[in-house]
Amino acid sequence: MSGATNREAVFPTRQSLGLMKSKLKGAQTGHDLLKRKNVSEVIYHYPVVQILSSHATTEITRRIDEAKRKMGRVMQIAAFSLAEVTYAVGGDIGYQVQESAKSARFRVRTKQENVSGVFLPAFESYTTDGNNDFGLTGLGKGGQQVQRCRETYARAVETLVELASLQTAFVILDEVIKVVNRRVNAIEHVIIPRTENTIKYINSELDELDREEFFRLKKVQNKKQRDTAAQDAEMRLKLAAAEKAEAASGATSSDKENEAGTGDILGESEDADVIF
Amino acid sequence: MEGLFFNVNNGYIEGIVRGYRNGLLTGQNYNNLTQCETIDDLKLQLGPAYGDFLASLPPNPSTSTLAEKTTDKLIAEFRYVRANAVGALAKFMDYLTYGYMIDNVALLITGTLHERDTRELLERCHPLGWFETMPVLCVATNIEELYNSVLIETPLAPYFKGSLSHQDLDELNIEIVRNTLYKNYLEDFNNFVNTDPDMAGTPTAEVMTEILEFEADRRAINITLNSFGTDLSKSDRKKLYPSFGRLYPEGSYMLSRAEDVEGVRLAVEGVSDYKTYFDAAGMGQSSAGAGNMSGGSGGDGKSLEDLFYQKEMEISKSAFTRQFSFAIVYAWVKLREQEIRNITWIAECIAQNQKERIGNYISVF
Amino acid sequence: MAAPASAYKDRQFLAVIGDEDSVTGLLLAGIGHVTPPPDSQKNFLVVDSKTENAAIEEAFNRFTTERKDIGILLINQHIAERIRHRVDTYTAAFPALLEIPSKDHPYDPERDSVLRRVRRLFGE
Repeated sequence: MSGATNREAVFPTRQSLGLMKSKLKGAQTGHDLLKRKNVSEVIYHYPVVQILSSHATTEITRRIDEAKRKMGRVMQIAAFSLAEVTYAVGGDIGYQVQESAKSARFRVRTKQENVSGVFLPAFESYTTDGNNDFGLTGLGKGGQQVQRCRETYARAVETLVELASLQTAFVILDEVIKVVNRRVNAIEHVIIPRTENTIKYINSELDELDREEFFRLKKVQNKKQRDTAAQDAEMRLKLAAAEKAEAASGATSSDKENEAGTGDILGESEDADVIF
Repeated sequence: MEGLFFNVNNGYIEGIVRGYRNGLLTGQNYNNLTQCETIDDLKLQLGPAYGDFLASLPPNPSTSTLAEKTTDKLIAEFRYVRANAVGALAKFMDYLTYGYMIDNVALLITGTLHERDTRELLERCHPLGWFETMPVLCVATNIEELYNSVLIETPLAPYFKGSLSHQDLDELNIEIVRNTLYKNYLEDFNNFVNTDPDMAGTPTAEVMTEILEFEADRRAINITLNSFGTDLSKSDRKKLYPSFGRLYPEGSYMLSRAEDVEGVRLAVEGVSDYKTYFDAAGMGQSSAGAGNMSGGSGGDGKSLEDLFYQKEMEISKSAFTRQFSFAIVYAWVKLREQEIRNITWIAECIAQNQKERIGNYISVF
Repeated sequence: MAAPASAYKDRQFLAVIGDEDSVTGLLLAGIGHVTPPPDSQKNFLVVDSKTENAAIEEAFNRFTTERKDIGILLINQHIAERIRHRVDTYTAAFPALLEIPSKDHPYDPERDSVLRRVRRLFGE
């Protein structure tokens, strides 16, 4: 059989044929669906990604560049506010800040959003109350600048968190699209042909079985006919023998009418046989 | 009368320091600096004033290394002056370094608390605040040891005594420790210039009292303003106010009770200078509070701290109008520090392309 | 496709590998966190010219693989450059890796590993 190497190992039964048929149908529907679920569709469902979505690839990269450049600007402003602190405090506060960091005031919450079957992550920033490691930094001088710098950096970090969401969405999207493409290809080039092959195989096997069955039935019928014919002949012989015996014994006692009667019956039956 | 014997011991120093003062960058110099396009240009412009010290810098140095090198020059000059100083002036200059020592000690305490490598800490210390026993700090591994064996040996020991125990170092915020020390230091310094037989009643005492009083007031006001919204209680805050200055005692008392910027403004109303600053900085009228919140982008007006710096520079500048005074050494160091800050600021503006704010430096010459 | 909830639900901190100024600023924003003693792990690393690449790499591994409470890892671009091979091969979604500019090194989109992937994704 030609498809023997590329089919599933099933017994060619009607039940597995039904199974294969529904499998093929499923694969085809899945294929159509997956093909439609391309990048843009996922993108359009996701608000953050939406900002960046566009069919023109240059446009997309331009927007991402823009988002990243915005980060560049925000970070620059933040860095500058740190320079202000250095100016106002008149020294380096870096070490002190590093040492007095204890508990994060600024944290993120991570969640996933289901977008047409793809889970895209989203970070959400929040600040915990009562955590103020640097409240007293620059108490003697520069405190106002320190506070301002903290606010500027907090805003900058918020931007960073937003960007991180966006970026992770792309990373995952990248992954998803690869997987989807792999699946589409697999379905198109492996699963569908293979299922079709299997169906073909099962069909041909079943046909073969049908033919065998028919032949076998015929054989059985023939044999049965032969057997019947043989039995009939035997019966006739027996009957004939019996008649002869009867005639031999009954000729002395019975009259001619009886003889004619039986002879008529036999004659009729013989006629019928000829017709048959 | 006081000038009669001044020059016997201190005339040379005074001459040197006045010479240094003439070497400070002028408004014209600053103007040239702000025109620079790159740090290299800036370096070139600083050439005449800083020459040798900047020579070893790589092309396009970072602003922090630039600041480091300019500080090196101040330190070299300070050490030279200190080496030539005798008697009361030598002591006066030691007092000058205590302020930096406080910062260093605060740094070391922080480091020891977190079990950092003390050698690394020593590198970060301000060279002016270097004291002989400082390397010994490397031996101390916990705060109690640090307190009992090292801090006691430093010139700062009296400032610890009575107000801070070794438990305090462990528990209190390092900023409170620092400001407590600073308060004690200012009080001691003030006491020193007014009672030392060589200085009491001389122009030194006069000028230094003005400077120190201003410094004390500035700290009191800043501490009050910066403590809003933090967990520093009013009674703790009160302990950080130096017990002299133009605001002391009524103003300090009112400061200690102030709950918002308005309260501070009321407290300083008695001193017209500070009141003017508050009005100029636009504080006290609205609830906008501490400066603009636009975070580095806005702010054409000067902040209160800028105005304080400005005032400090003016006091320092006018210190040079008096003769036979140690105060010029103090004033010179302060002017020089401001100059370093200015250079760093300008360099930062150039490096980060924030030219619109480049004019925020303070120049008094 | 969904990562199990355990993969992200505890991720609440940001971590940073950067130069002194960047770290100071971000710590001022309040992202700094030190886990309780005895291990006292910090979520930030200050890199200067003396820091060895191995130390950076180790911190990178610690923040990306070992610790499960980091949601976003920020790294200065010029430092990422020093361990570029590690950064480029990092593909996990959590923690998110974000290259940020530093004061002395403006942001260069051409080098950003994620941006490069994004471009590839859209067929450039």
